[in-house]
Order: sequence, then C-alpha cells, then structure tokens
Amino acid sequence: MEKIGLYLGCNIPLKAPDIEQSFRKILPALGIEPVDLQGASCCPAWGTAPSFDLNTWCALSSRNLTIAEALGVDVMTGCNSCFGVLSEAKHFLEDADRRKAVNASLATINREFKGTSDIYHVAHVLHRKVGAEKIRENLKYSLDGLKIAVQPGCHTLWPSDVYKVKEQNPYYPTILRELCEATGATVPHYSRLESCCGMGGMRSTDVEKSLRLFKDKLQSIKDETDADLIVTTCSSCFLQFDMSQPILKERGLIDFEPIPTLYYTQLLALAMGFDPSQVAAVSQIDRSAIIAEIQSEKRLIKEVA
Amino acid sequence: MIIDQQKIDEAVNTIIGYGGHGILNCVQCGACSAICPGVRAGFPLLCRNLIRHLLNGELEEIIEDSSSWGCQACNRCTEVCPRDVRPQEVVFAFRRYQANELAFSTSSITSQMNLYETGHAVYTDPRAARKRVGLPEETPTSAFDEQAKQEIQTLINNSPMGELGLF
Repeated sequence: MEKIGLYLGCNIPLKAPDIEQSFRKILPALGIEPVDLQGASCCPAWGTAPSFDLNTWCALSSRNLTIAEALGVDVMTGCNSCFGVLSEAKHFLEDADRRKAVNASLATINREFKGTSDIYHVAHVLHRKVGAEKIRENLKYSLDGLKIAVQPGCHTLWPSDVYKVKEQNPYYPTILRELCEATGATVPHYSRLESCCGMGGMRSTDVEKSLRLFKDKLQSIKDETDADLIVTTCSSCFLQFDMSQPILKERGLIDFEPIPTLYYTQLLALAMGFDPSQVAAVSQIDRSAIIAEIQSEKRLIKEVA
Repeated sequence: MIIDQQKIDEAVNTIIGYGGHGILNCVQCGACSAICPGVRAGFPLLCRNLIRHLLNGELEEIIEDSSSWGCQACNRCTEVCPRDVRPQEVVFAFRRYQANELAFSTSSITSQMNLYETGHAVYTDPRAARKRVGLPEETPTSAFDEQAKQEIQTLINNSPMGELGLF
C-alpha cells in the first residue's frame, strides 16, 4: 500500500475531526496508507508568520516538511490554505540563499530541510493516485440523480507555477467535478465556479464584505444549479458554507433553505458506507436528510458475487 | 501631491526588503485588480491601487489602511499578471511592513499567541469532538507534543517576530 504523510493543519483535526476521520476511513480502502506526521504544526496560516517575515514562514513550513522527509513520504494536506502555504514555502526555498538562511534557523532545533517530499492535496491523491475507476469500484451507494455544486476553493489553483499538481485550466477547474461524478452524481457548471467564497483573511478583517462576496456565489449556485448539496475540497470554504448560509437566511438575504455542505471525503465516505456519526457529524446546517438520502436502500449497489 | 524620489526609493526598497521583488515591473495595467476578490469586495488598497500608492512614494501615509489584511492570498493576481510582478507578494510585503510597525488589528494577536503556545493558529480544545467521532482524543500534532511546541517557540523567538514583544 502506498504511504503518504497525513498533514492535518488546524481546522480539520481541531474543529472538523469528522473530516479527519473520513480520510482515515476511505484512504486505506482505496489503497493509500495515511501516515501521521507526529508533531506537525500549523502550516503556518497566512495571517501569522507569512504576514510578518518570509524566512520565519519558510522555517515553520519547512519544519513540517522535514517530519515527512524523515519518514520518506510525500505530504498530503486536506486544507487548501495549508497546501498553498507549504507549496509556496517550498518554492521560496528553491532560492539557495534563502534555503541556507532557513536551514541555519532549523539547525537550532536539529533539523534540516532537504526538499525531498512533494506536496499534494487529498483531491490530487484521489484524482491522480487512486483514480475515478477505483473510486467507482468501492462505492456501496450510487449517488445517481443527486445534483452537486462543487466548490474547489482558491489555494489549489493559483499560482499554478508553484504547485506539483495543476489543473489544465485553473480558471475552469475539473478535478473536484470529476471526483464527484465518480460517485454517480451530476455536477452542473455554474458561472461563479472559481470565484472566492470570502472566508480567510477577508472574513476576519471585514465580515460584511466577506458575506457579500459569499452571497453572490451562493445565489449563483442556487439559481444556476439548484443543487441538492455543495461539495468542497477546502476546509475553509467548508466552514464558510456551513456557518454563513444560516446567517444569510436569518437576515432574510436568501429566500431558500441553507444547502447542506460536505467536504469531498465525507461524501465519498458516506457513499462507501461508513458511519455518518463518525465521518459527517459536525455541522451547523442539518445534514441528516441528505445523509439519509445518500445511504438509502434504493441506492445500494449490488455486491459483485 | 508632490512626487519625491527619495520617498519613492524608500517605499520601493521597503517593499522589496519584505519580499515584494517584482514591484518595479508593474505597468499599472490593472489585470490583478480586475480578478481580485478583495477588490471586488470593496477593499480600496490592494493590487494595482496599492502598487500605485507605493510607486508614488506613499508608505507611512497608508500604514493604517486594513486592505492588505483582507487579501485572501489566493494568488489570482500572480497567475494573471503579464509582467511577473507577483502582486500578492507586494501586498504581503506591505502587510509585513505594517506588521513590523505593529500597525495591525489587535484581533490578529490571538492567532499569533495560539501559534506560539500550541503550534496552531486556530486552536480550540478538540478532545470531546474527536472522541465523539471515534478518533484518539489528542491530535498527533504540536498541540499535544511538548518537543514540537518547544521547537516552534525556538524558531519564533529567534526570528523578527520574536523581537516585536508579542509573546
């Protein structure tokens, strides 16, 4: 079984452990063994070291990467921001002078960055290493007839020159759509597919601006797709969709019920038959109806004898 | 306003010093601003307009503006820029200038303290929620790893962040 370093970040292990559990359930079943990166920290988030000092950012990021290097594994993130921060830090460390300076810092904690581990997002691992066919073979329930609006998020798309895996066209991303289609679901296009959900620094700096941007995107999803659910591969987007739809509803800014939102590996874990109380348990929006629909008897795929 | 070459040099050198190496490539075409979610949301000083102010020699004059902290770090601007300015790095360089002058919102201090104390910018005690979903209560991350926390504190203490007196 291929091993990969499971880089957890902050939001997933601390606020959305059901997403972490969904990784741990689906990956071994699909032939990937997640290996813990013991002692890994925050990537560090954009609003921390990257906002103060480039080399401190690179030192904290590369400390995380050295944990994977010591185990001889690549790194897999579940959070788009972590993917962006770690990938950019690795890109900055291609500069020989910077690498020397950062390695001098790392020497004070007996570490050295070598650059031997590549950085992937879980969507990349599922799309490139596992593949749609193997996903289909492992489904217990078919999501045929369900309509999904996908939210790929920002930090796996741009800047494409620092990423190990790129979309063919980052302004028209297809990886998440194809992953969702592998479950049998329909994934209609909408015009604001690649636009920003407003989470992140924007939300902590000015929540009203963030909500306005979010509402534009959400309205586009509703009007153009009328989706049964929203699926994302970004844990920050997940939080925005899950916590801000009820706010818009309460303020009367949307005239429809909040659309249940799942992280992609949660959707897949449900379709593979895992227990919702472990893999899709933490949300503001009530997801019980869509979960029951996904795991309903009529969707059971007959076991191959 | 009077254009003062000395002030322009100071602003440009400050931005380059904080990592905005491509600022002088900018021809003010505005492709970055056209695609920037922060500009769309209404932050006045991002991408093209921030660069314009900096290239006019304004630095202290705009230090209190919070736009740079509204940057999503999404790098759409970097992708679209025809001149390899990497505008996000200019925005972040300006943010670093602000941060090192302690010109940032006090609300952001919490994440610096969280990072320093637990290794996580966002920290809430996860044990009950983790137990509920069938995971070990303690994460395999720095939050429950004393050596990891010491390493992170050592890196921060010996950095320019450590000299700001936040910790």
